[in-house]
Amino acid sequence: MTNIAWPMAEFAARSLEPTERDAILGDLIEVGETGWSALQNVLGLIILRQAQLLRTLRPWVAGLGVGLPSCYLLMGVSASVACTYERLFKPQVVRSPWWPTANEGILLLLCHFFLLLAWSWTAGYLCASLSRRTLWVTAALGFAPWFIDNFHLAPLPKSCVLLFVIPLVLGVLHGLQGTRISPLLALFLAIAMTGVMIFCWTNGALWNFNWALLVPAWYLVSVALRTAEQMGPEGSRLPA
Amino acid sequence: MLGEFEYLLITAAAGLGEEAYGATIREEIAATTGRNVSIGALYTTIDRLEQKGLLKTWMSEATPQRGGRSKRMVRVTAKGVQAAKEFYAAVMRVSRGAKWATSEVRVTRD
Repeated sequence: MTNIAWPMAEFAARSLEPTERDAILGDLIEVGETGWSALQNVLGLIILRQAQLLRTLRPWVAGLGVGLPSCYLLMGVSASVACTYERLFKPQVVRSPWWPTANEGILLLLCHFFLLLAWSWTAGYLCASLSRRTLWVTAALGFAPWFIDNFHLAPLPKSCVLLFVIPLVLGVLHGLQGTRISPLLALFLAIAMTGVMIFCWTNGALWNFNWALLVPAWYLVSVALRTAEQMGPEGSRLPA
Repeated sequence: MLGEFEYLLITAAAGLGEEAYGATIREEIAATTGRNVSIGALYTTIDRLEQKGLLKTWMSEATPQRGGRSKRMVRVTAKGVQAAKEFYAAVMRVSRGAKWATSEVRVTRD
């Protein structure tokens, strides 16, 4: 039993800062703590650290200001993409009157799909950058609507509103790794997203609130420009 | 003014001198008070005291007896010594005349 507890304690300690992790695991080894006691101590410290972080504004800004609205809007866009696809390629399907799709053609479907990928990735990146250590709060707030809202998409399953999850998770992973984007690439992405969005919006295929999903893309541009200024031309890891 | 646990920590660290780090401070407090201290309480208090400028911490070299892991060394600053002195003086003042401070205390059982 003790043999299982030590690896668990070491795994749990991975959520701590590297120097703190080193110090506390070393302390626990030095005094010869049993595995379960070590695990209890590590979990206790993690809970205290999380409580400290939750007393600050940052995780709530990330969760309520970015995670929740972004995920809710992206669920709507996912539903729109899934329903438009069904309408275009499976016309025999009996549609629910609640379907969020009207007369979009293949071009608008492709635009929506591009925006879905880009919005999701940039929102994930921003969430991870803002609340690296309290990402669970952002995730809990972001996915809460999925458990509350019924979405009324029959015969499509409710899970179709989660099309955005994979690009969002990729964005989160890149944000956690601190992947830096060259200003040129960030600017190109933001301009492309804005352009495609204007096209979709003028064709009546987007909800006005979806404009808010451009905020992470332009935030990314400002971060990329700031980082490039601080680090010089060698600062970017992704090619322009 | 310091809290009780903050005072214990500063006193233990000051007594340990160059050997003050997480594990030794924890053992010292347990040995002198008979109280088990959780790593969480210890490290969050160290952080708080460091933010107040009462302690200074730094990471030492990794050692083999700790599985190649380094220590977070602790040193009490002059400001920390002053805060501990003030706490001790306050405890002495408030205890003046208390039964348990004059060895006349008689323990009664309910």
